[in-house]
Amino acid sequence: MALTRGIQLVLLMVCFVTAGAQESKTTTNPRPATIKEGASLFRANCSPCHGLNARGGGRGPDLTSGRWTHGSSDGDIFRTISRGVPGTEMPANAFEDSEIRAIIAYLRSQAPPKNIKLAGNPANGKKIFFGDTGCSNCHMVRGVGGVLGPDLSRVGAARSVAYLTDSIRDPDQELSLGMTDPNNHYVVPLVYDTVTVIKADGEKITGVARNEDTYSIQMITTAQELKSFMKKDLKEVSHERRSLMPAYSVDALNAVQLQDLIAYLETLRGIEDKEVK
Amino acid sequence: MKTTLLLVLVLAAGALHAQVSYERLLGAAAEPQNWLTYSGRYSGWHYSTLHQINTSNASHLTMQWAFQTGDLGQFETSPLVVDGVIYGTAQNDRAFAIDARTGRPIWRYQRNLPDKLQPCCGMVNRGFAILGNRLFMATLDAHVIALDTKTGNLLWDVTAADYHQAYTFTVAPLAVKNEVIVGVSGGEYGVRGFIEAYNAETGKRLWRFNTVPAPGEPGHETWSGDTWKTGGAPAWITGTYDPELNLLYWPTGNPSPSDYGGGRKGANLYSNSMLALDPDTGKLKWYFQFTPHDLYDYDATQIPVLIDTEWEGHARKVLIQANRNGFFYVLDRTDGKFLFAKAFGTVTWATGIDKDGMPIVNTSLKASPEGTRVCPGALGLTNWYSPSYDPDTKLLYVATSTECDIFTSAPQRYRAGHDFLGSIYVPDPAERPTGALKALDVVTGSEKWSFPYFSNPNGGALSTAGGVVFAGDSDGNFIVLDAQTGHDLWHVQLGAAIYSTAITFEVDHKQTVVIPAGSALFAFALPE
Repeated sequence: MALTRGIQLVLLMVCFVTAGAQESKTTTNPRPATIKEGASLFRANCSPCHGLNARGGGRGPDLTSGRWTHGSSDGDIFRTISRGVPGTEMPANAFEDSEIRAIIAYLRSQAPPKNIKLAGNPANGKKIFFGDTGCSNCHMVRGVGGVLGPDLSRVGAARSVAYLTDSIRDPDQELSLGMTDPNNHYVVPLVYDTVTVIKADGEKITGVARNEDTYSIQMITTAQELKSFMKKDLKEVSHERRSLMPAYSVDALNAVQLQDLIAYLETLRGIEDKEVK
Repeated sequence: MKTTLLLVLVLAAGALHAQVSYERLLGAAAEPQNWLTYSGRYSGWHYSTLHQINTSNASHLTMQWAFQTGDLGQFETSPLVVDGVIYGTAQNDRAFAIDARTGRPIWRYQRNLPDKLQPCCGMVNRGFAILGNRLFMATLDAHVIALDTKTGNLLWDVTAADYHQAYTFTVAPLAVKNEVIVGVSGGEYGVRGFIEAYNAETGKRLWRFNTVPAPGEPGHETWSGDTWKTGGAPAWITGTYDPELNLLYWPTGNPSPSDYGGGRKGANLYSNSMLALDPDTGKLKWYFQFTPHDLYDYDATQIPVLIDTEWEGHARKVLIQANRNGFFYVLDRTDGKFLFAKAFGTVTWATGIDKDGMPIVNTSLKASPEGTRVCPGALGLTNWYSPSYDPDTKLLYVATSTECDIFTSAPQRYRAGHDFLGSIYVPDPAERPTGALKALDVVTGSEKWSFPYFSNPNGGALSTAGGVVFAGDSDGNFIVLDAQTGHDLWHVQLGAAIYSTAITFEVDHKQTVVIPAGSALFAFALPE
């Protein structure tokens, strides 16, 4: 299951950490005007990376999942915003303290209620993931699975339940909502769309591009092979704005199975470093 | 006797290192072995009469050397070449002199920058100006400095503006007569833009033209309330100069906030304009505003190209510009009279240009919190990277982008030193932006050919008398095209996006082309 191109990128990025708690005034019961100011500040300053509605962008993770990988207190988030995250693309920001608190208030307003308990059974979900539904044919988790879709070893830390649900039921929707890279800084394209090349002998090969320019394309095919082609040797290169991942309707994955699968995905928080542990 | 011998030796040694007089700058076109100004000559052509590399042999180009700047970020310099030495600037206000023959460094300079700087678009610098034995650089902390050409030693250093308020320089200065002229950056932070000149010898400021008029000055009425104080209109690309008319042509950028016009009712002069200034006094001689009351960040900071051409049966001195707003313009450069404009790609913000040169704005597009799709996007149909004019083909080669953006309004209050956009924009996710190098007829604006880029570009074009155009794309390809047809003659992958434009020179009778990419300057020539 290709849970859209963004997930893999987000998995690669560690954007919210904290070096320790920092005290700041809390944002308990903020006024609506504060949340509105936070929304405006967020749009103007944060959305290029984290998405217009904080649900994740081409460079930054979803901030509405209610899960803060590197510190969830207001003090933690305050420090992350003000100081940035060294070694990542999350910069320090010269906001006034009240503005940071407004942004935190806005993000809190977007997050799901606390103590939400997922109804699904993660153990059953794991069986679904590695079973007949075929998720693991394309997605890898902790070194097991396919390579056509994004690695999901850390997806539970990066994506909300709502996002995962949308991605499973309608993968094209999240693809077309798009992770954008406004400044085109990445040589590797962010798009997880469907690419088909037609060779000179007429053979048609479909997959996802790992890179592409005017002269060549590097792709992983649906046979999960890494291929490189010079465009001058091809009859055609076409892109379709759809995911190669099938949409899992209720017939393919009923409501209970979906809950179980998401409950499993939510447990995925990365590959543990056994040496350190 | 000893004194005489010493004098002779000193004179002889001096002669080995020729100084770049103003007369040499005026005659730069006659020194194709060198590259003496940002655009190669005052007219802004970014063109060379060198022809050793031509359509028949460009496919044999071979790398000669690479020079590493030792820093990361966008490498946007357009180096100068003087008598076998290349002078360039690099990321984070580094600078260097290197042997044009070998790429070996002669000296390096590193500005000691303060921690908190606010350049909108990277810690970049676009190059030096040279005059006499001095190199001039405008820095990210809003200083203008002079370095010694032989050593890189600092000769003078003046503060132009306060970087705490996000005034910054990224521009390559222009040397005219005894002056060094610079334009400020900071249009995304609510600065009040300016263009100014310094005495090349002493660093004394000679004049400043504020691009946003104060109360009592002509044009002030185009701003509501106090919005002029934070009105932007920066001037961050190097202007051009007509010595015969003694006019300096310097374009300006967006009004601030860049993507929200609600607070600044009016045309917002002199944002997004072409200014013709008297270089002796800084007085405005004429102006032409391309995009009044801009809502989409359409800086007019593209190189003004000066050509003399036949226009409706008569010889005319014109200024041409492929503007970021999507229209190609022809102006009479003696008085700024509008002559012609034509879209050179997809444009939706305006339905056309009227007889006076004013845009016919598409009023159905209104900024909204939900987002409105506008073409071209905020980065423009083209941008600051140099176009090239070839007098043989009479074509202007312009790198273009297909990007359309979704603008969503997010009004902001001004805070000194903080970004001031009023909107956020993202590329339309339904269409992956691409680009092209286009060849435009300079009289009709019609497209003669278009070479497609997979990604939207950040690098410009260099044309030569060899009938070729050198270009660089965002995917790291350095490309040579046939100037007449756009046919792809040769390319090489340099491993990083190209954020600048090639220049060419001759050393040891060998035409060499250099292009910045990633952290390195790469040199190419034909094999021995």
